[in-house]
Amino acid sequence: MQPPHPTRFTVSHSKFKVGRSTFSVLLGFFVCLMPTALRAEDLVEFLNGAKATGLMKEIRKEKREFDFEIQLGGRKLVRTYTFDKVHAVTMQGKRHILTPMVASPATDNSSESPASRTKAQVLELINTVGSTPPDWFDSTPLDYPKTLELDWPLNPNEKGWNNQKNVGQYKWDVINPNPGRWRSGLRLMHHLMTLHKNQPALLERDIKVVGEMYFELFQDYPRAAFWLRQAKVQVPEPQSIHLAECYWRMGNKQMALDMLNARSLPTNAIKLLGDMGQTDRAIQLAGAFAKMNRPHEAYLLAGDACRVAGRHQEAISFYQKVLDSPDARNEEYAKRYHGLARDCIEALNLTEKANVAKVADGAYRASSVGYSGAVEVEVRVTNHQIEEVKVTKHVEKQFYAAITDTTAQIVKKQSVRGIDATSRATITSQAIVNATAKALAKGAQ
Amino acid sequence: MRLNWFLPFLRKKKKSETLAAPSLMMQWTMKILPRSWFADRVTGKPGLIRRLLKRVGPSVLSSPLRRFVQAACLLLFLFQFFYVCWPYSAQPVSDGEKSDGWRLIEVDESSQFHFEVEARPAWVGRHEQMLHLSNPAGDGAYIGAFAVSDTADNRISLRPTSDLTPEAFDQLLLADGTWSLSETEPNRWPSHYADDLQRKEFLPAELFLAIDPLVSLSTAIASRSWVWSLTCAAMILVVCVVIPRGFCGYLCPLGTLIDLFDWSTARRVKRFRVAHDGWWVHIKYYLLCGTLVAAMCGVLVSGYFAAIPVVTRGLLFLGDPLQSGMSHGWHLVPGMHLGHIFSIVLFAAVLGLGFLQPRFWCKYVCPSGAVFSLGNLFRLTERKVESTCINCNKCVEICPFDAIKPDFTTRTSDCTLCQTCGGVCPTQAIKFVERWNLVELKVENDPPTRETPLGRRGFLSLAAGSAAAIVGGTSVAVATRSFGARLDDPTTFRPVRPPGSVPEEKFLEMCIRCGECFKACPNNVLQVEGFQQGLEGLWTPMVNADWAGCESSCNACGQVCPTGAIRALPLEEKKVARMGLAIVNESTCLPLANREACQLCVDECNAAGYEAIEFVNVHTKVDGDGLPIDGSGFVAPVVLDDKCVGCGLCQTRCYAINVKEKHLLTSSAIVIEAGFGKEDRLMSGSYIQLREKERRRRLPSRNAGGSEFFVPEPLPAPASQLETQETNDPFGF
Repeated sequence: MQPPHPTRFTVSHSKFKVGRSTFSVLLGFFVCLMPTALRAEDLVEFLNGAKATGLMKEIRKEKREFDFEIQLGGRKLVRTYTFDKVHAVTMQGKRHILTPMVASPATDNSSESPASRTKAQVLELINTVGSTPPDWFDSTPLDYPKTLELDWPLNPNEKGWNNQKNVGQYKWDVINPNPGRWRSGLRLMHHLMTLHKNQPALLERDIKVVGEMYFELFQDYPRAAFWLRQAKVQVPEPQSIHLAECYWRMGNKQMALDMLNARSLPTNAIKLLGDMGQTDRAIQLAGAFAKMNRPHEAYLLAGDACRVAGRHQEAISFYQKVLDSPDARNEEYAKRYHGLARDCIEALNLTEKANVAKVADGAYRASSVGYSGAVEVEVRVTNHQIEEVKVTKHVEKQFYAAITDTTAQIVKKQSVRGIDATSRATITSQAIVNATAKALAKGAQ
Repeated sequence: MRLNWFLPFLRKKKKSETLAAPSLMMQWTMKILPRSWFADRVTGKPGLIRRLLKRVGPSVLSSPLRRFVQAACLLLFLFQFFYVCWPYSAQPVSDGEKSDGWRLIEVDESSQFHFEVEARPAWVGRHEQMLHLSNPAGDGAYIGAFAVSDTADNRISLRPTSDLTPEAFDQLLLADGTWSLSETEPNRWPSHYADDLQRKEFLPAELFLAIDPLVSLSTAIASRSWVWSLTCAAMILVVCVVIPRGFCGYLCPLGTLIDLFDWSTARRVKRFRVAHDGWWVHIKYYLLCGTLVAAMCGVLVSGYFAAIPVVTRGLLFLGDPLQSGMSHGWHLVPGMHLGHIFSIVLFAAVLGLGFLQPRFWCKYVCPSGAVFSLGNLFRLTERKVESTCINCNKCVEICPFDAIKPDFTTRTSDCTLCQTCGGVCPTQAIKFVERWNLVELKVENDPPTRETPLGRRGFLSLAAGSAAAIVGGTSVAVATRSFGARLDDPTTFRPVRPPGSVPEEKFLEMCIRCGECFKACPNNVLQVEGFQQGLEGLWTPMVNADWAGCESSCNACGQVCPTGAIRALPLEEKKVARMGLAIVNESTCLPLANREACQLCVDECNAAGYEAIEFVNVHTKVDGDGLPIDGSGFVAPVVLDDKCVGCGLCQTRCYAINVKEKHLLTSSAIVIEAGFGKEDRLMSGSYIQLREKERRRRLPSRNAGGSEFFVPEPLPAPASQLETQETNDPFGF
């Protein structure tokens, strides 16, 4: 959601505090006419849209921070804020903008309309915010097993797998599956960068990993973009598509499209194109991949792109192609892709029925194939409204983001249509959507 | 001092006599209650009260107050055992309403926080409504409670109800995303079991156990430490100096239960009756001596014989299965083993002694009673017989404690001052007065009692009995120790004890084996130990995590423990007290054994709020370059030993699903274990501080070395000047 415009604040602010009666409006005028120097009337607007009135005590330009005094329940509180946390400060009637507004990643992962920014604004955001450590960085302990070999070579020296020795294997086995370890994991990677200062090849790999982690684990687009740019990722590296997505999520679609305007692209570009509404290009790209070697994945992604765009018949035909394609990398993959495609077709066929306006009150359960097993959801409907979608059973290994994010999207949109899959958890998201559609269809009258 | 009989003697007025005025209390009572309830003092005709009591029975008629107190105490005991210690009346508190999507608009000078939302739900915004503010995006950070001070369409003004910390304030201003308002504190640690017990416990649930002096006395001797219930025992002993052995006559629920059994059953069978005197009359002293000798050797066996533990265990093994079976289903009643049978037989034997003589147990065997008998040496009051005695023998016949000698004077060590004899005496010759009252006393040894203070036979039996007690106590102690828990041997059986238990050696010395903790434990997590540790661990509580896991919201076992073997920890302490450690069996755990995906234990642990099990990828397949293949392998559980408290919920879940339901395993693949390094058991001090100390010890070594935020060269050009072009800008743009 886009934060409200500052002028709207000022108007409603005064209505809120004075207002109510003519007398108090008059009183308000008098208050306004009084010399401003008498009162602490400096206004700080934070990046998340919050405003605070208080007194500017000291500005330290070189440290890019300032001290601000706020009255809080009879106490006077002096807090220090850095420029990158603050959108603007109004002092003696003059407004200074310190950091341009960011659409916060947590509230803005829907495909509808990311806040729009010029290329210069995006670059500025990347350079100001992206280059700084996140809030939690200093308070996160550096925590890793003592046996870990911190001179992480580019290729594992030994044949075997040892997640207590090899950093990459440690990241895969221990950091990725545990959201509680993501912060300390990222801190470890930052630590490795300092250790690999003088080894350019290792440093480049580290930077790329850091960028990927900001993107995949934290959906922190300015920081992800900063580090991916530092690593100079180029199309057709898969990470370059992450960078393109960062640009788009930060509000500049053109920058993303420019990056994708290349001769060869990795498979994950199909999903991004689909999410960005470039359905035809997504289909075209998928077609090219299907001819090469990966028909299952390509057709599935093409189907998803059509589905996001609401082109359901086409989506069904692509999913059908997945079912018709004979061989995959191995038995397990074939089983999973076929299961997914079947579920998608079923869910699309049920979409009409899954219209919540036609669903009777009650709780409905259904399940669908996820990444590593069935995902079961329970949908509660009251008064033709989706009250709650809850994942009741799943064995998904990673990326729990999908479980809360996708369900929240369904409740918000009151529909299973046009739900944007959570990054890196496409399959889980898809399974939740499919299962919800099935569950709603059960209750259709 | 003169304690009147509970029911005044009633007789016809003789012509020449003038009636003495009734006591002041009696005059008031007669004013309040109807006239017909009282006897006519002139004609001697009994009133309604007396006629009713006569119907109930002679002992009630002669000492109604005593019978009333007995009944009240038994009912109180049953109420505490079956209601206060019954955990299933606890209901989890519902989370209440929650509203998301609130955006902080402004903090104004008057400390008001203004929030806005797209559509304000109807329940939000009542004036002075208490709302809890949290940030679902930023780790669900909880800010605090706020009161509503003003409401407009989609806006609301909140005022913090307590001082906000500067950190919380910064979080409010700086955090990304929107805020949630909820009626209850989000993610609060549930406490419904603890709250429920506290609500019901207007008297301590373990009251009767605490006032049984043998319980605290022997525990303190065995463990050589202070036991809190010693104060309760001291208080009751002081009371019993005024009312000698009053505990036995009035309060003891086992005594009342024995009275009921004697009245209903034992009096109908005469063939087992024994005489009033014999070698058995002093068993109680030798038993007391024996248990105390054993306690001095560090072995606590008094719980097998002390009055209240005996009746508590009897009700536990007989009554509790009935209660939970009938209310919650019989499949929820754990099976019985030899330990149960042994205890039930012992309880049956205690009642069965009633076939020998009424209250045979209380008169001759009960070691708790022996403590009071010895206490009677310091008595201030006693039963005395005046010279008006007509030797009618009525008092001897009715005395429930065999405390009247053949010459109708008192065996002072046995008399419980129940006053039943006073009620039946036709001449009002019995008085209950201070010990030194010597007015108008009857001549002693008339008729002759044929009792000598200490004859040759008496001396021999005393010597033999004392020797037997000492030898018995010592040998029991030696036998228990040598075939017992053998704590110095790490390979022996080490049960998981309830949370907050004192160190194992002390635990075995302090646990009185009363069974109160089992009763208070929801879902029967605590179950009775049999002979796994020999006699030393018999009837002690141990966790059976295959059956159930320890509820995160419950601290009942410590609250009801009468000796402090399980410390009465507050819930905050209990939730970090490690009673064991979950160990994953690497050869059977489904994902570790490469069989199938399973994360039951992790989900269960997270749901309980401990978050002590995390994931690790196992059996990852690697491609030609040594890179992992997405989607291959499984995630397996890893227990974090600094967070696991050994509640056993993981084991319960694994057992219920993988063993019982799906038959994939023969035993749970994650099992809680006790022993050195796997549990923390403190005699005193705080578990929270222990955890904090551990945490600090862990941190600095890890944090050493540079971990500064490092941005490698080449750096991109510094921020371009976009919006502000002033040269004298205060912020330096």
